[in-house]
Amino acid sequence: MTGYYTQLIVNGIVAGSIYALFAVGLAMVYGVFKFINFSHGELITWGGYLALMFSSPPIALPLYLAVIPALLLTVGIGLAQDCFVFRPLRQSNPISILIASIGLSYLLRNGIRLFWGSDLQSFNLPLSTGIIFGDIYITRIQILMVLSALLFFSILYFLLTRTLLGKSLRAVSDNIELSSIMGINMRKVTWTIWILASVFAGSGGILLALDTSLDPMMGMNSLIKAFAAVLLGGAGNIWGALVGGLFIGITENLSVAFISPDYKDFISYGLIFILLLIKPRGFFGIAGGVR
Amino acid sequence: MDYLYHILIIALIYSIFAQSLNLELGFTGLYNFGHIAFFGIGAYASALLSLSGVPIPVAALIAIGLAGIAGAFLALPTLRLSGDYFGIATLVFAEMVHLLFLNERDITRGPMGLPNIPRPDWIGTGVTSLPLLLAVVFFAAAVTFILLRIITNSPFGRSLKVIREDEFVAQALGKNTFLIKTKAIVTGSAFAGLAGVLWAHYITYISPSDFTLQETILVLLCIVLGGKGTHWGPVIGAFSIIFFAEFIRFIPIPSEYTRFVAPLQGMIYGFILVIMMLKRPQGLISESRGQRTTNA
Amino acid sequence: MLEIENVTKNFGALTAVDNVSFRLGDTTISGLIGPNGSGKTTLFHLITGFYKLDTGNISFLNRKIDGLPPHIISRKGIVRTFQQTRVLPFLSTLDNLVAAAPGQLGENILPLFFRPARVAKEEAENREKALSILETLGLTKLRSTPAGDLSYGQQKLLEIGRVLMADPKLIILDEPTAGINPTLIRHLVTILENLAEQSVKIFLIEHNMPLVTELCDKIFVMDSGSLIFSGTPAEVHNNPRVIEAYLGREKDAAEA
Repeated sequence: MTGYYTQLIVNGIVAGSIYALFAVGLAMVYGVFKFINFSHGELITWGGYLALMFSSPPIALPLYLAVIPALLLTVGIGLAQDCFVFRPLRQSNPISILIASIGLSYLLRNGIRLFWGSDLQSFNLPLSTGIIFGDIYITRIQILMVLSALLFFSILYFLLTRTLLGKSLRAVSDNIELSSIMGINMRKVTWTIWILASVFAGSGGILLALDTSLDPMMGMNSLIKAFAAVLLGGAGNIWGALVGGLFIGITENLSVAFISPDYKDFISYGLIFILLLIKPRGFFGIAGGVR
Repeated sequence: MDYLYHILIIALIYSIFAQSLNLELGFTGLYNFGHIAFFGIGAYASALLSLSGVPIPVAALIAIGLAGIAGAFLALPTLRLSGDYFGIATLVFAEMVHLLFLNERDITRGPMGLPNIPRPDWIGTGVTSLPLLLAVVFFAAAVTFILLRIITNSPFGRSLKVIREDEFVAQALGKNTFLIKTKAIVTGSAFAGLAGVLWAHYITYISPSDFTLQETILVLLCIVLGGKGTHWGPVIGAFSIIFFAEFIRFIPIPSEYTRFVAPLQGMIYGFILVIMMLKRPQGLISESRGQRTTNA
Repeated sequence: MLEIENVTKNFGALTAVDNVSFRLGDTTISGLIGPNGSGKTTLFHLITGFYKLDTGNISFLNRKIDGLPPHIISRKGIVRTFQQTRVLPFLSTLDNLVAAAPGQLGENILPLFFRPARVAKEEAENREKALSILETLGLTKLRSTPAGDLSYGQQKLLEIGRVLMADPKLIILDEPTAGINPTLIRHLVTILENLAEQSVKIFLIEHNMPLVTELCDKIFVMDSGSLIFSGTPAEVHNNPRVIEAYLGREKDAAEA
């Protein structure tokens, strides 16, 4: 019986590491530009579908190669979001930006449905053999998911703490006006943030799609979980997003043991509600941005 | 002709729904992205009650009341949140309500939905009932319009605008902003419930997939397009969007392309939202600034 | 009428208001001065309930008011303006005033339908009162202009008018003359003096020393969160600690 719970926790860690990848991008954009980007979810979805496209006929690249153009295009979408919508709106009131991001999200989601249809799709992979440790079963893909999350977070940590670019990024999320006066290259910082957010979202999307399947709503559903992770872990610390993501993943998977699996999402949504109630501005303050 | 009746009925129901959200979003500045939940609560409550034998007018009134109470339930915890956080919390609330519709199979029959929702006998069924249905829905829409107009043109409506423009000032002037916002949400939710009731008894079949984020975006679009904080804006928005959606069905499209229609339509809606925010955030009709807000 | 006892407010490691105690007795117009960042505005936020205090007591007319929400404190008769003008930009100048009338029956939904005559009568009275205040302010011609289109000085006046509309017992003004021209300042002084004659108490933060000296009967001085002195304008002018607080700070700034 302990094996059952351990298995649920392992499932939770796998799911949570992906939520963490989504959360950290969402938090970085919020930290600097101070809005919740609803269309962040669609970067997740587009990443997954683009990888599917490049790895299936007629292009049919091997998966590890298909990932490269898929991520490049996802980054393109991320940068285009900023260039055509969010940069022109930077001085607008926050609500206009929020509505625009909802509109953008809807536009991109229906774009997916236009190209690939609304049905579930999945990668035609040979059934990956799992590994068994005692009572615990884990697939290679799932191990890859956890390892990639760790790798991405380590790279991000290095970037933020050991490079000049990272320092300007942190300065900008403290005070955007002051930073531009102090000669920080805003364009470079903006690009970096959108590139990082897009790569993280896109990679997470691809991994999630490999593990489960693809559907146009996957981004929106993951976005809500990611938001919960941001609230929980706080953007004050990139490890906060990781911890928050893991917590959400483990909680919703463990809940399966106690309540009907149909209510898995209900649990994480309920958690957001409770979090907002006790900490209306998020733990560690989401406004703190990347640090 | 029958088809025109159908479009008018749908557009009028949506105009009620859009007006109810406009009270919160346009007049009070509350960005409720979970308004569909109250439409759904109204629809499910009235359908379930009337299916279990409660007379339809009674069922409808109870449903509207329940939607209002659910509004208070949402307002109490979330109103302390500001701006975008309130938006997320309401969105999550609507998702939770949707999951309840989907999973409480013993009550709602889950994804199979509720068929054969009754209509009052004097309206009847089939094509012949359409003019009567239109009259009923028109009456409901007119009542909604008039009541909301009285409410928003009153000192109460002015206090909503004070809160929208500057909540601190409202508090400094002795306004109980929490209470006033709660009233706005309860009223808005009750009217959304009314729209849901009409929907359920007109369509006669509801399922959880009728009450999703997609509908929230549609009604948001009606308001943003028409002009938030105006009386006619949501009505005009609702008619434009519904007529546009129905007009598309008349375009002769080869059957192999029909699967592209719905996604393209969605892309257009998303695009309109983005473009409106970029080019004309106030909507087609803009709220006249400095207008006298009182009738006295 | 207003009593402040051992009030302290911390923001993280920073103590913005440090164990401040004083009482506003029968003085008609009192001033609060001090260098920037000395905690004056924070103290005003504490009195009006916009910030919650960490320790201490505040009472008004012998009733404890700390811990009450801002709107209740306002209804008890302490009405304030803000340092940065906060008019309601989309509402007309007239509506900015009418909105400030206290205890409006028409701000509830049910009376709109069940007692419409009473609501209309009340609204007409409030409108009349607002018009007479606009007359005093000299803004009658601009009554249907959106308040956001008024000049900065006119907006400042409108804010004062809004306070008058609320039937206050104590008015709290945060830098009422900042950024407005001398003619308007004179106009404002007249309005305040008229008010004082109607037994409304005034408590204001102001940097314009000649004006404070002219208007106030009593002056409180804050520095680095503490109350360092209180007395008549003449006493304040001759007090070495006050002079040091101002000049010392300027000297530091010059050296920095």
